[in-house]
Amino acid sequence: MEEEEEEEGVGLRWKEGLRQKASDAFLRQQQAVPNLRKLVYGSVVQADDSEDEEQELGGLFRVSRPQTSKKYQANAVDSSRFHPDTSHQWDQEEMLNSIRDCFVTGKWDESQDAA
Amino acid sequence: MASQGLEYDGCNFFRQRLVLSSLSGKRVRIRNIRSKDDSPGVRDFEASFIRLLDKVTNGSRIEINQTGTVLFYQPGLLNGGSVEHDCNTQRSVGYYLEALLMLAPFMKTPLKATLRGVTNDPIDPTVDMLKTTALPLMKKFGIDGEGFDLKVVKRGMAPGGGGEVFFSCPVRRTIKPVQLTDPGKIKRIRGVAYSVRVSPQMANRLVDSARGVLNQFIPDIYIHTDHMKGAHSGKSPGFGLTLVAETLNGSFLSAEMSSTPQGQGDPSLPEDLGRNCAMLLLEEVYRGGCVDSSNQSLALLLMTLGQQDVSKVLLGPLSPYTIEFLRHIRDFFQIMFKLDVQKPSEDERKGGEKVLMTCVGVGYSNINKTLK
Repeated sequence: MEEEEEEEGVGLRWKEGLRQKASDAFLRQQQAVPNLRKLVYGSVVQADDSEDEEQELGGLFRVSRPQTSKKYQANAVDSSRFHPDTSHQWDQEEMLNSIRDCFVTGKWDESQDAA
Repeated sequence: MASQGLEYDGCNFFRQRLVLSSLSGKRVRIRNIRSKDDSPGVRDFEASFIRLLDKVTNGSRIEINQTGTVLFYQPGLLNGGSVEHDCNTQRSVGYYLEALLMLAPFMKTPLKATLRGVTNDPIDPTVDMLKTTALPLMKKFGIDGEGFDLKVVKRGMAPGGGGEVFFSCPVRRTIKPVQLTDPGKIKRIRGVAYSVRVSPQMANRLVDSARGVLNQFIPDIYIHTDHMKGAHSGKSPGFGLTLVAETLNGSFLSAEMSSTPQGQGDPSLPEDLGRNCAMLLLEEVYRGGCVDSSNQSLALLLMTLGQQDVSKVLLGPLSPYTIEFLRHIRDFFQIMFKLDVQKPSEDERKGGEKVLMTCVGVGYSNINKTLK
């Protein structure tokens, strides 16, 4: 009976990671999130708190997972660098065209004048 | 006491917490600093940061437990004056300078800081980048005048360091609210290609490859080559590139790359580095906004501490660091920003989505500043 339960526990472990992976992907694409306010001030913080810290094995030993997601975030490198979106291929013409009008050499609005 | 201060877990966003604590006067306790790590507790560079903070303040109380996993900080008055500090070489001077930029306008006497250590490394914004982006940004908030300067006296690359930086900043009683909603078009690109203890030709190779990418957008590109020799070249060899795009309305977007520190991974090729750095600048242009991604938090802090009036700043997508900074601003100053996402229209070719940040300043006034 107990063995069965344990096996089930192991079998279901992939699901825990799944949730974290999904939320990571969510954070990566945060540019596209319409309810930015909720992302910044709301739900994300609570989601982190709900995770269990440790599991006990046989009441004597503790399973220590130093790099669980929450701890990893809490002790990550403190740097203000914003790493670029790897899906952007800056050698593609399409990508280059997407920013043409950011430069004075690009197209100007009707209301504005280059002079 | 009415307030028991704020509590946080872990060493991430260490500087944000201590800086905001110093400005707001709220005590802060940080627990579980690398408590599960093989070498627990604060690292040398964090200890060095705490010492720097102790030097620029008067009457701060700092307690660290024996293992270094718990830090208690009770801020004192921001004092300023002349400060010399040997920064730990695990992180570059940019790590320390980012915090000083946030604190300097609110000191009692103008800060004149001499920082020694690594001036350029791949982890933190380099001194060259802060000089060309953070300083003009602060000027928009009314922090200006003589004695506002940041210069590289000696260059020191990671891992050896040996560089020296001088930073001075005037003090202000209040901060002006700003309306930066239109960055304008990019009129020119400037940059610095630096090299120390390698062939001076490296800098020229960097410039050529970066130009190759950027020339298809704009012809007005000037990249200065800066080769320091002898006593001014630090202890380690290396090279790197900082690029800055300046817009018609005086916003600065920048990107940079440094060579891999000696003995840490594959050596970099100047051609690759120049091209990749140019592409990073294009990425930064794509993100857009009036403030570049590494200075977002500085802009938001100055907006928060402005007079009781509305400030607006247009930013590119918020970086994870900035998002955490917004949460910390809420904790320390009870200010929440209004965030409006601006989607680009179909036929526009102006990069990705932008966020318009709006807030009313707390009306912070620098009580430390002496009246003359």
